Amino acid sequence: MTFDWPTALPLIFAGLMGLAILIYVILDGFDLGIGILFAAAEDAEQDTMIAAIGPFWDANETWLVLAVGLLLVAFPMAHGVILTALYIPVFVLLVGLILRGVAFDFRAKVPTERKHRWNRIFFLGSIIASLAQGYMLGVYVLGLDVGFGGMAFGVLVAFCLAAAYAAMGAAWVIYKTEGELQKKAVRWLRTTLVLTALGMAAISLATPFASPRIFDKWFVWPAMLYLSPLPILSALLFGWLWRQTFHLPKPDDRHSLTPFLTLAAIFALGFAGLAWSFYPFVVPDRLTIWQAASAPESLAIILAGAVVVLPVIIFYSFYAYRVFGGKATDLTYD
Amino acid sequence: MDPLILSRMQFGANISFHILFPTITIALGWVLLFFKLRYNATGDSAWIRAYFTWVKVFALSFAMGVVTGVTMSFQFGTNWPGYMEKVGNIAGPLLAYEILTAFFLEAAFLGIMLFGFRRVSNRIHTLATVLVAGGTTVSAFWIIALNSWMQTPAGFEIRDGVAHAVDWWAVVFNPSMPYRLVHMLLASGLTVSFLIAGLSALRYLYGDRSESMWKALRTGVFTAAILIPIQIFAGDQHGLNTLEHQPQKIAAMEANWNTGPNVPLVLFALPDEAAKENRFEIAIPDGASLVLRHSTSGVVPGLNDYPGNHPPVFPVFWGFRIMVGTGVLMLLVSWSAAFFLKRRHSLPKPLALLMVPMALSGWLATLAGWYTTEIGRQPWLVTGVLKTADAVGPVAGSHVALTLAIYLILYVLLLIAYLGVLVHLALKAAKDGDSSPLPGAMKTAMSQPAAGE
Repeated sequence: MTFDWPTALPLIFAGLMGLAILIYVILDGFDLGIGILFAAAEDAEQDTMIAAIGPFWDANETWLVLAVGLLLVAFPMAHGVILTALYIPVFVLLVGLILRGVAFDFRAKVPTERKHRWNRIFFLGSIIASLAQGYMLGVYVLGLDVGFGGMAFGVLVAFCLAAAYAAMGAAWVIYKTEGELQKKAVRWLRTTLVLTALGMAAISLATPFASPRIFDKWFVWPAMLYLSPLPILSALLFGWLWRQTFHLPKPDDRHSLTPFLTLAAIFALGFAGLAWSFYPFVVPDRLTIWQAASAPESLAIILAGAVVVLPVIIFYSFYAYRVFGGKATDLTYD
Repeated sequence: MDPLILSRMQFGANISFHILFPTITIALGWVLLFFKLRYNATGDSAWIRAYFTWVKVFALSFAMGVVTGVTMSFQFGTNWPGYMEKVGNIAGPLLAYEILTAFFLEAAFLGIMLFGFRRVSNRIHTLATVLVAGGTTVSAFWIIALNSWMQTPAGFEIRDGVAHAVDWWAVVFNPSMPYRLVHMLLASGLTVSFLIAGLSALRYLYGDRSESMWKALRTGVFTAAILIPIQIFAGDQHGLNTLEHQPQKIAAMEANWNTGPNVPLVLFALPDEAAKENRFEIAIPDGASLVLRHSTSGVVPGLNDYPGNHPPVFPVFWGFRIMVGTGVLMLLVSWSAAFFLKRRHSLPKPLALLMVPMALSGWLATLAGWYTTEIGRQPWLVTGVLKTADAVGPVAGSHVALTLAIYLILYVLLLIAYLGVLVHLALKAAKDGDSSPLPGAMKTAMSQPAAGE
């Protein structure tokens, strides 16, 4: 097979978009998760939890802008089809993200007596955005089917994703805090892990019935053999992490980042499975990535920029995380 | 109702609400850098107090800009799929470069700028401020490039019904782009200087005579007084550029129904599109010919040359007049305030009272100007390439109406909360004066609440 740009570019961009979505889900996943856990936290704990994500959430949300931007610029046809089909869920997601994002700042700047209101809005925005993302994912997996079955499946995925985000949030709190709050976060992690596992089992059982297409992609020999590490490894990681929650936090706070990294790995595995289920379609059964792609010359000029800029972005993102590394202390504007 | 009109209203509502906040952050980033550099140079704590008062406004405005900006990136697909299908090859790379070169830069260093004062060296903190301010400006550059390309497209060809770029330099630096960019950056500068002057005037009225108030007040007033004549000149040049490339927009702005010489400058009128005439017209004879052609016998394009192909006259005519009227008011207020500050070192109370509502004059002028230029582009989405009606998506009108209604309610509530916080921050600063805790001197453990207060 000879290498030619018109074939390679859409593939590269599908990969970049997938990467941006994965990074978004992991990074903003813990922001949203902490928002969801707000409902279970005391006032003082809420301040510490915000301090654990305050300097990062903005950059984390930018990965969503990049993902949507790449869909928009690299696959304009798909962007239109997907977003018009998901009009209402997208709207709900945006309202959630707006409420969540502004609550970050308002809760810190309004007179003290109104802070509680913005804390509630922060929780609401986070849970709305998480549920909307899960619902969109579910409907998208089924090929943008919006019949009753599709909606029910979407709701199932919505709750599973919200639980998974909450688990990410708990894992981030374990990493960024100490003392009582950290112990509390370990308990949160245990509960949300169970919920996530139940949700994922339900989804795995429902998917083959809901989508014969995906069933055919997974349950054929020898693909089944190559793919088997994905579910097996995920299940092992789940089980191992669940057992870990009985031993955390460890003395000297060793391995406090491990739960988060384990969850990130589970997300990546799940994501790989999803990518396999879709390939080569960007809109299931309707548009392949080549049919939906922009002109090669436009993709080339974006790629040139991305190749130069993305490493720089990743470098200074790491720098920002390092500046605010260690346990979260209270945030002040100085 | 018609999904096209509803989608236009929704897009208009979203982008109007969005633009309010970048208009503040673009220039406020540079003003904060100015405060920071003055502090670095003089060591005067009043400068850093001014910095910390206004960095809160910046943080809040930035968050509002981010969340409403995310909305915009989805709106292209949800409401206008035809847009990306037709011109995605041009718009795509411009938007991608905005995200890659500006968004991440701002977002990553914002955290350091806001919360890193005592975590990084002073030099790195100053650098973070530079990068955030630079990021907002670069962001404006790409968006203005795309918007200008939609107004005056260049550097492309249509192949198989889809636009393809042939000369990226011509795409980015299309005929109206330099004018629009300068006009918008100055608009941002004026919006911020009037906002700072207005909120400082509020502090002044509450009896605050602290050094940080004076420094902010002077910065706001003098910046406004310097920028407004430049803006009037730049706006005039932008108008002449529009005359050359989009004469139908000029015809609507001037409510000039017939092409010809000796066209009057209409000061007030109720344009009547059905009758193709102005009612209750008050005009200066030969004024428009003189302004646009620098000669009383200069020929000014009229709407009769563009039957069925010109924008609605009423909103364009009035949008332009509101913008210019606000600009004239800005000139009067900023120059009188500058005079009193320079000569008397005080502000007369009536002037200070007037400056408080003028804090939002930049928003009014910016919105009116954008309405003029964007409605003035109709019926085209991309001039000569794509009509707005051909880009609208297949979404049901009821869905668009429902989401529009909720957006509007949300935006009104957020706007009230935002303005409430601005006033709260100003009054709090007025109460604290120069006795607010000095961040630079606080070397003790970080014991302040996470509230950032």
